[in-house]
Amino acid sequence: MVAEEKNNQASGINSNGVIVLKNLTKKFGEKLVLDDISLSIEKGKTTVIIGPSGCGKTVLLKHLIVLLRPTSGDVYLDQQRIDNLNEDELNQVRTRYGFLFQGGALFDSISVFENIIFPITQHYKITDWGEIDALVKNKLSMVGLDGFQNFYPAKLSGGEKKRVALARAIALNPELILYDEPTTGLDPIRSDVINELILKLQKELGITSVVVTHDMTSAYKIADRIIMLHKGKILADGDADYIRNHPHPVVQQFIHGQIDDEDLLILQSGETTSPSQFVSQNSKK
Amino acid sequence: MTVTNAINGLDNLGQFARFVFRSIAASVESCRKSATYPLIWAQMNIIGVHSVPIVMVTGAFVGMILAIQAYDQLAAFGAEEHLGVLINISVVKELGPVLAAVMLAGRIGGALTAELGTMKVTEQIDAIKSMGTDPVKYLVAPRVLACLLLTPFLIIFADLLGIIGGYFVSVIHLGINSRAYWTFSASGVELWDVAIGVIKGFFFGAAIAAISCYKGFTCKEGAHGVGQACTEAFVASFISILALDFALAVFFKAIYNTFWPIKALI
Repeated sequence: MVAEEKNNQASGINSNGVIVLKNLTKKFGEKLVLDDISLSIEKGKTTVIIGPSGCGKTVLLKHLIVLLRPTSGDVYLDQQRIDNLNEDELNQVRTRYGFLFQGGALFDSISVFENIIFPITQHYKITDWGEIDALVKNKLSMVGLDGFQNFYPAKLSGGEKKRVALARAIALNPELILYDEPTTGLDPIRSDVINELILKLQKELGITSVVVTHDMTSAYKIADRIIMLHKGKILADGDADYIRNHPHPVVQQFIHGQIDDEDLLILQSGETTSPSQFVSQNSKK
Repeated sequence: MTVTNAINGLDNLGQFARFVFRSIAASVESCRKSATYPLIWAQMNIIGVHSVPIVMVTGAFVGMILAIQAYDQLAAFGAEEHLGVLINISVVKELGPVLAAVMLAGRIGGALTAELGTMKVTEQIDAIKSMGTDPVKYLVAPRVLACLLLTPFLIIFADLLGIIGGYFVSVIHLGINSRAYWTFSASGVELWDVAIGVIKGFFFGAAIAAISCYKGFTCKEGAHGVGQACTEAFVASFISILALDFALAVFFKAIYNTFWPIKALI
């Protein structure tokens, strides 16, 4: 099975990937987070990275835009190596990306309008504010939040923050969008709104998307390809059907959201204590 | 363990030096780009204008306390009319600049570290990078420039109120002759003394901003991480202010001693 995944990855790297990772390893101190990962992200497709919490999904995503630099290995964007560029050169490269952060990462001291125009003001000299107003209106309409221009992030719900952050991520019309857990913390309906937005951006604008999630409903809906990370390595790589029928027990356990036998045993062997029992066993302050 | 600590300390120092170098480069570039001026004005308002009242109160108390404490010593040998020299030279040369800077390290340094630290833990700094903007240029340069340019002005406010506070207690409360107070003050305090205090402000301001921004940028996760970064920023700023004050005192004394013999010619 491991050999099969390696073949699968190798074929991916040989393809014309827009982003290619070669033998990427990342350590934080002594902790190995990503272990010799090689993969290629295909242009115009939605690649979903799944895996249990703490397996290195977000770290991998941040390497795709070089927000983190690898301990060893290379990152290529359109055949150009980008992990060794200096910050000024990287800033030019990063204008091709949009990044949706897990918590939105909206600037809380400025309004929704100012958040969305932030990347534009950083790279263009604005002369026609009417055009900018129309652009912000258009981006907010795409995420269903037109009219929220003068709101501050603190006044928005979690789902609204994520949608505003998505509007900001697409402000510069990026070719690639990286989504870090876009549906986490949202109710199923809001999650589906985000899923539809990702699909819409891919279909209408041909945007290449990489989505990190552990929401399998979302993964099956939006993915052209699903990659499962486990302990810093790629455990499975293929389309939704391939992942659904993957024989590896860890993959099956993850996609069905099942507790593993060891944890179950620990839970069942531990005694539960009611609050009244607890109080009777411990003196109150 | 000691070796590891020493290596970590050196590593930290090296990273801070690189951060300072990047901040200086970004600040110089910001000065040449008019597009960044609104960011600098905004920080000047927060850092400078809003600090004026607290710095003035600090200065006033410094002057008043000096008058109360020094009066008895001078009066013991009938030299109370020289009180003005002692108060004013202490205020403009040392206590005004240092205590104003310490107050700013608490007020501004803490706020800068907390603001940037919170931005770091909520991934706002990563968001700035992801949009192709250098966070050092966008966040650090305006703050460094605002601190660097306005701390000397805040020190002038502290000096002014220190002088007024000292005068108020000496003349109104302790009954020293006003004319004698000012005459002795004028003869004892030179423009050089005032200038030294104000020049120190540039160094103190730059140190407070650089340390506070660095601590914010390198802050650890969570509320505890932000709190710890604020504490470390204040302690490091405070020590730096005292160390810089000592180094500058030595430096200016050497300059003064060099040029004093030819002062009349200048």
